[in-house]
Amino acid sequence: MRLPRIFRTTPFRLTLLFLALFAASASAFLAYIYIATAGEATRRVDQLITREMRTLQSAYGRAGTDALNQALIERAASERPYLYLLMKPDGARISGSIEESPLESFNGEATWTSFQVTEFDVQGREIDRPARGLQERLSGGEILFVGADIAEDEAYVVKIVRALWGAGALIIVLGLAGGVVVSRNVSRSMTGLTNVVDAVRNGDLSARAPVRGTRDELDELAVGLNEMLDRLERSMAGHKHTGDAIAHDLRSPLTRLRARLEASFLDLEAGRGDPQAAFAQALDDTDGVLKTFGAVLAIARLQAAGAAPDPVLFDPADLAADICELYEPLCEDDGLDFKAELARGMAIRANREFMAQALANLMDNAIKYTPKGGAIMLRVRRRSSGEVEFSVTDTGPGVPEEDRTRVVERFVRLENSRNLPGAGLGLSLVAAVAEAHGGRVELSEGPGKVGEIGPGLRVAVILPPA
Amino acid sequence: MRILIVEDDLEAAAVMVRGLTESGHECLSAADGEAGLGEARQGEFDVMIVDRMMPKMDGVTLVETLRREGDQTPVLFLSALGEINDRVDGLKAGGDDYLVKPYAFAELIARVEALARRRETGSVQTLLRVGELEMDLIGRTVHRQGREIDLQPREFQLLEFMMRHAGQAVTRTMLLEKVWEYHFDPQTNVIDVHVSRLRSKIDKGFDRPMLQTVRGAGYRLDA
Repeated sequence: MRLPRIFRTTPFRLTLLFLALFAASASAFLAYIYIATAGEATRRVDQLITREMRTLQSAYGRAGTDALNQALIERAASERPYLYLLMKPDGARISGSIEESPLESFNGEATWTSFQVTEFDVQGREIDRPARGLQERLSGGEILFVGADIAEDEAYVVKIVRALWGAGALIIVLGLAGGVVVSRNVSRSMTGLTNVVDAVRNGDLSARAPVRGTRDELDELAVGLNEMLDRLERSMAGHKHTGDAIAHDLRSPLTRLRARLEASFLDLEAGRGDPQAAFAQALDDTDGVLKTFGAVLAIARLQAAGAAPDPVLFDPADLAADICELYEPLCEDDGLDFKAELARGMAIRANREFMAQALANLMDNAIKYTPKGGAIMLRVRRRSSGEVEFSVTDTGPGVPEEDRTRVVERFVRLENSRNLPGAGLGLSLVAAVAEAHGGRVELSEGPGKVGEIGPGLRVAVILPPA
Repeated sequence: MRILIVEDDLEAAAVMVRGLTESGHECLSAADGEAGLGEARQGEFDVMIVDRMMPKMDGVTLVETLRREGDQTPVLFLSALGEINDRVDGLKAGGDDYLVKPYAFAELIARVEALARRRETGSVQTLLRVGELEMDLIGRTVHRQGREIDLQPREFQLLEFMMRHAGQAVTRTMLLEKVWEYHFDPQTNVIDVHVSRLRSKIDKGFDRPMLQTVRGAGYRLDA
């Protein structure tokens, strides 16, 4: 027989284990309560009986059997709750309120016993009431039995015991119910995760685990799983897109190259045209195709690897200073005002070459798109979050907000940049480099629009600190 | 110069042989790693051009074997693999330079000549002299016709590289790799700007320009 699903879940098993431990400690607790209450009641009765026994013995010691007999008769007649029996040394009854000792045998030592006394109620019905007694041999050889009706004490103990059983049952029921609720909650989250894993295994990469926002381990696992799937999905989509994009973007320049070569060939056959110019153009076109190919390959490899190779620890300001040194003369020659603000003393763990290339791409873009008289600023700073931010800000035409996500994609070039050289891979590579280092790229507006200039673009590469 | 080309792509090898021969070098080619090793052991070569992936014995093994045998002939690796790791592996194996396929022929010839030159000037120099230009590597000073030229540290490094390869064409990629130590391809003409600054410092005010632009290749410092 297969148990219902809930009984097979790990949380439920844990709940049962917990419940067992809980029940054990609850039992100890209840046992203590029992001893402290019901046990105490029994002990109190025993004490009273012992005291009565001592009183009678002292009467016997003072004045002998007759005096004791007298005392017993007086006491039995009074409203005292005790039962008495005085016997001869051979056990024959002398006097008392009961007919015979409840003890089967008596070896002469003080002996305690629990027994029943039979009484008749108002209607004449027989009722057995619990009683307890002590039998001792007196110094003269006679035997004295003192007992007490403990029906009321007993009833009190029974109540306590019943209450304890009730409490025990309540503990078990509540514990079990709590366990079921907890395990159902936990197993619901687990089921969510399992469903996602199943869906992904069956090829549905868009499945995501529900996140409940409780920030517990299961939620973290769900978030982690979702992030992993995001990345996987992007990577798969990226691969597909790369294939499509390479096909598309290599096909157009290759087609152009082929057409030019064919035209030159026809020209040369007809005895006109300049073969040298045709070849120079063909070589240029080929170089363009190769450059595109190289860039696409670099991006695809970075994305496929998921992490940048050979990371080293370095100060981001040093790298940025190198890039400044490389690009400053170019800015100056292009009539651009170049400034750098480099915060020192931070550290990142990154592939220096890739980071340099990413910064160079940002500088290339800024220089390409900023008209003469504009300004470019390279900045390295620590964000309040502790992350390290490289940013390049220019005063070029900027990128409209609705296009900012799109321009990071491969081969996306905005209409107004079609006449400038480039394959539209620069920012994609920057983004791939940032992501390979666990970081991201953010695009925002530059310093704003002033007359015909601006609003500019600010591209930031944000990396986690080392 | 005697150059050994070890390349399994026969057409590519033929283009190299032709180009290098036209530039006045003597070439021998081998079509696989083992044949290349045999040739390298027999003949004295100034430079070897070795493809990384070849039948029978790959380029890295070939160069490692030669280095173990004490052969220090400069090696230029050619590879279709362009990743940083591949480059590092190649240089670790004993290669001296690394060129990713496909390449411009001007780039190949500039690198081959640079490698051969490096071998000639193996001893430690403290003074470089190219025509009227004098560079003191210890005092970090540069003089032309006795007049001191003030250079930024990077310009100094750039000029040092050009002086060590005086008379040869050096490409922009070579300058970016050897002077700045970057292995990427900038979209803008950053290197040209640096070279033209250096040119204005060493040629301005003198009757004859020393730093020449070589069309389709790069730059050359002439004595």
